[in-house]
Amino acid sequence: MVDIEELRKQHLETQFDQKEFVLSADNLIVAARASGETREEFLDPENEKFQATPAFLCSLASGSTLPIDFPSLGGIPMDGGKAVEIKAPVQPDIKLTGKTRLHEIYDKKGRSGRMIFIVVRMDLYNDKEELLATTDSRLVIREKPDS
Amino acid sequence: MSVKIISDVEFGEELPVFNPDTSLENTSAFAKAVGWGGPRFEDHEGARKEGFPGALVPGIMGMGFLVSAIHQWAPEGQIQHIDTVFRAPMLADTPAIINAVVTDIDEEEAFIELDMTIKNERDETRVFGTAKVKIPTS
Repeated sequence: MVDIEELRKQHLETQFDQKEFVLSADNLIVAARASGETREEFLDPENEKFQATPAFLCSLASGSTLPIDFPSLGGIPMDGGKAVEIKAPVQPDIKLTGKTRLHEIYDKKGRSGRMIFIVVRMDLYNDKEELLATTDSRLVIREKPDS
Repeated sequence: MSVKIISDVEFGEELPVFNPDTSLENTSAFAKAVGWGGPRFEDHEGARKEGFPGALVPGIMGMGFLVSAIHQWAPEGQIQHIDTVFRAPMLADTPAIINAVVTDIDEEEAFIELDMTIKNERDETRVFGTAKVKIPTS
């Protein structure tokens, strides 16, 4: 059984991934409209406040995996949820940088075994190194007894 | 009914029911726009071949629906933080019902908090979450 405290000591709050993104206004509009969005700041690229919806920002974190030296826990990670904190509008056509780290690791035990929860946090910066948003991806792994 | 300023908001108030468009055409358009194309999001038969009961609504689209419901209710509100838990998959072409209730009001800081759910027609919760929203004071 994997030692959660040891995992926390080894991996929490250490950046393990960095990616660059440039968002397309067309994709932002399609995603916003499909979500039922009605506000112009999410639908009209001519609007001075035009920006990505919170959900779109969470999609940027979808490719985040675990650190290369993270142990196998036996099960396939499932997407347990997403969160986002907005610090400033995220606009299209500018270079964005996402820096990813593990923010939390914890477990819950039940009759069917142990579930391990991992919160993968990505900070999203613009090209002036200003923090625009922070996304959390909650991975859930059902541990295999012999892992 | 929508709110403009924080004094319009009442503790325990329920937001107007928001019925999102979960048609496969719409959910697959969302999936492609966020770069998540593929059978599980675009095609019922393809999703079944991957072991799902049908084409899935992308999890983050559930968050998108919740955000739109908030924006419809509070046209001047600014979402500062939203957290969603994906409890069970949402299926395309299956109706979903969004409910939200005001659970906290901080008039000094001009924030409100909401508890929100997305359920199917059998009243089963698929997604639940919370949001912190800044509402103008005047």
